[in-house]
Amino acid sequence: MPTLELSNPAALPADWRDFVALTKPRVMSLVVFTGLCGLLVAPVELPLVLGFTAILCIALGAGACGALNQWYEADLDAKMRRTANRPLPAGRMDRQSALHFGVGLGSFSVLLMGLATNWLAALMLLASILFYVLVYTVWLKPRTAQNIVIGGAAGAFPPLIGWVAATGDVSVLPLLLFAIIFLWTPPHFWALSLFVRSDYAAAGIPMLPVVAGFESTRRQIFLYSLPMAAAAVAPWLLGLSGEIYGVSAAVLSFVFLVLAARVAGNRATEPEGMDSEKHLFAYSVFYLFALFTVLVADRFLPW
Amino acid sequence: MVKAEDEVIRKRQRARARVMALLLGAFVVLLFFITIAKTGMNW
Repeated sequence: MPTLELSNPAALPADWRDFVALTKPRVMSLVVFTGLCGLLVAPVELPLVLGFTAILCIALGAGACGALNQWYEADLDAKMRRTANRPLPAGRMDRQSALHFGVGLGSFSVLLMGLATNWLAALMLLASILFYVLVYTVWLKPRTAQNIVIGGAAGAFPPLIGWVAATGDVSVLPLLLFAIIFLWTPPHFWALSLFVRSDYAAAGIPMLPVVAGFESTRRQIFLYSLPMAAAAVAPWLLGLSGEIYGVSAAVLSFVFLVLAARVAGNRATEPEGMDSEKHLFAYSVFYLFALFTVLVADRFLPW
Repeated sequence: MVKAEDEVIRKRQRARARVMALLLGAFVVLLFFITIAKTGMNW
């Protein structure tokens, strides 16, 4: 990468790698994974290339959300250590490029989804993009501490979209998968927001620890973990999955609850004393991956 | 200095054009296989 000081930095086109960074590839990996699981547990076998295209569209839609989120929040990102080096706040890209890229990528993903699979899946993809950008990023996030609770719906769409791409309709299991991610999102994000609270406070984002304090956030983390655990074992209790999934979901959720209880009992106010929050955050990512992996394994393995 | 600036800008533009060309090529291939798959499904 050249380090030449340009007389007019605006004339330098953004590097293609910065467009990739704009899509938040790490967040995309979880979205792709849950979308793939929704597609795989569906009782319809889609031709490989159409399944691949459906997942590609979900990934591109998630990338569009990331780009539009960074376009809208460039000023906020500049105030937070965690996000200050993103392409827009770091000055490596102009805002208009990010906006055009986000809108273009989102439109492309919806059209391709409709043409390759079905228009209900495309409509859901469009709804999830609009929900994330307009309802979560623009409306809720800067206004209410419940931003993560309602905004979590945007991240819960992928398994539902994956299922609909394969089957063309909605049933109970994909709705439960939606519910699991929807209820998982608050404990996951609040655990993170506890140990990066100062960042959110500096940016003026009303995350729960900033608005309601540590104790209330820790209690809410535990309380949300309870319905999340119930939703996780529900596919087994309703006879929509096998025992392997049921037992695994119960064990994984029990560990989640134990870690959430440890968070609820923690009184630390500095990040150095927040090991239990960091453990819960790390485990929550593993939890979702493991839960969905077992669900798919349960469908395909002959035990 | 202006020549050096131009060189940096051209290099960046070439890299973006190469990536774009690759993506468009991949899209054409994907569309071909989607068409084959949908024809096979008789949709």
